Amino acid sequence: MVTTIVPLIGRRLLISIVILLIVSALLFIVLHVLPVDPAAMSMPPTATTAEIDAKRREMGLDLPLSRQYLIWLSHILRGDFGTSIHFRRGVLSLIATTLPATIELAVLSMIVASLIGIVGGLLLFHVRGKPGEHVLDLGSIVLLSIPEFLWALFFILLFGVALHLLPFTGRLDPDLRLPSITGFLLVDALVAGRGDIFRSAVQHMILPCLALGLAFSPTIMRVLRSSLMDVYQDDYIHQARLRGLSERRILTHHALKNAILPTVSLMGVQFGFLFGGTLLVELIFSYPGLGNLMVDAVRNADLPIIQAVGLTYCAVVLIVNTAVDTLYLVLNPKLRIR
Amino acid sequence: MMRAWPHWMRSGRVITGLIIIAAILVCAVFAPWLAPHDPNEQNLLAALAPPAWLEGGDPAFPLGTDSLGRCVLSRLLYGARVAMTVAVLASLGAMVIGAVLSYLAGYFGGYADALIGRAVDVWMSFPPVILSLILMVGLGTGLRNVVLAIVLVDWTRFCRVLRGEVLVVARKDYVAAARLLGFSHWRTITREIVPGSLPLLITLISLEMGIAVIVEAILSFVGLSVSAQTPAWGQMIADARQSIHDAPWNLLFPILMIFIAVFGFNMLGDGLRRTLDVRLTATERA
Repeated sequence: MVTTIVPLIGRRLLISIVILLIVSALLFIVLHVLPVDPAAMSMPPTATTAEIDAKRREMGLDLPLSRQYLIWLSHILRGDFGTSIHFRRGVLSLIATTLPATIELAVLSMIVASLIGIVGGLLLFHVRGKPGEHVLDLGSIVLLSIPEFLWALFFILLFGVALHLLPFTGRLDPDLRLPSITGFLLVDALVAGRGDIFRSAVQHMILPCLALGLAFSPTIMRVLRSSLMDVYQDDYIHQARLRGLSERRILTHHALKNAILPTVSLMGVQFGFLFGGTLLVELIFSYPGLGNLMVDAVRNADLPIIQAVGLTYCAVVLIVNTAVDTLYLVLNPKLRIR
Repeated sequence: MMRAWPHWMRSGRVITGLIIIAAILVCAVFAPWLAPHDPNEQNLLAALAPPAWLEGGDPAFPLGTDSLGRCVLSRLLYGARVAMTVAVLASLGAMVIGAVLSYLAGYFGGYADALIGRAVDVWMSFPPVILSLILMVGLGTGLRNVVLAIVLVDWTRFCRVLRGEVLVVARKDYVAAARLLGFSHWRTITREIVPGSLPLLITLISLEMGIAVIVEAILSFVGLSVSAQTPAWGQMIADARQSIHDAPWNLLFPILMIFIAVFGFNMLGDGLRRTLDVRLTATERA
């Protein structure tokens, strides 16, 4: 099994690297046709034109675009993402401090989305042909029509402002401090054995995770339902019924195994969307992650950050998609032949 | 096509969706006549007034006022203009690019298909929100650029789904027959292949309109959409967030409007999908 899978995964990995290179070139081109002048922005307003020109040469902005791109790429490959114009800090360290927060949020939200999605999908399948079908199906369209940032705002209104049940800004209560080890707050709190910090972090994550989870669950629901319906058309289900197996056993031991495959591959695509969706949820909950860094950078036209953060988002999505494809290969024996 | 008309008009979902969209379109088109105030007129003395039916509400401002004393109802009505303009133009634009590329890919196959397929892969590695933000930075703000950014991000939604459909249709016997009769490529695509994929195209457009409404709201929420003089729902949300404790209702109304608009487009799309019998899994709707 290993001998057939490894070349496939290697190929997939190679494609991802090529895609990332193309993405980096596209990012560079889009961001270098814009009308702002990074050299002028990084200088005090009193700078003379000659000084700004000198700065432009120093920053390499007078070179042709292709040369600039190659220089930027070679720096990135050496781990040098440049310096933020606005924060006057290394871009890499800014990303390193914010990325774990975003990954933590995205992973937990994906778990929430999968749980709601799978339970909802089973429920939608269960009521097929029964009176409740139309109501639940309509409910899934309602869910589909509420994007994550509307959930986020609605939850702030309901649980934060009206009911005062949960905190809705940041990752921790302001009086709590924890030295960062991995950057993943929940992990760090456990490692340090700080129950109070773990509790506060969980409380701060409930609303953001629910907002993202609810927004991305209806698609999972609907795919699971339709693939279950497809699977139930197959002969082996009929066969299992003839053998006298209970409906529950048919579902758990036969149908679900096959119906879950399209759902898994969908979750890979969904994670890409969800990972982008964290940006708004972070903004609304003032959650100090990659999304807030990106929005700050956009507002300040801070090109080095926008480029690097854009590339980081794509890299994470590509890594996750490659992992999901691998999982798909492992789960689906049919794809191993060749 | 003529016989399909009454069939899909009988669907409750299609009718619900159409009624909702028509109502919002009426708001958008007739905003100057429906709105009780100029959407930018400030009444600083009446700032943050609650809706008329609440205590302290002023009947002159049926849904209350924002932090600058601007009429919330009037701003919602004018905001529908931006939302609907973007929804219609952006989804048509994305459809044209996505459809043309997928017809080329599906019909000619080979290099064209490989190239277009790879382009879709590259685009798919960008989370849509991130790509649209970056494009707005590159393009600059304004209604035209919002439409352009959504078109440049969302053509892949059409391409991904349509390409597979065209691949199937292009290998049908009647397409081969058309070629044997000496039809040009252009004529074969427009007369034989496009009609077969029309139901799918119409369904995708209505779903895309809902997505465009959301993306415009996101961009104007971040402050990267239309200018501050043009009322937009996302902008109203961003403003209302500043006074969330004093005037929570200000946040609720634009949220509700976005939801209703998106729900209308999704109902229409779902109804069309069912009645036109389009093979479209939720994977492809994502």
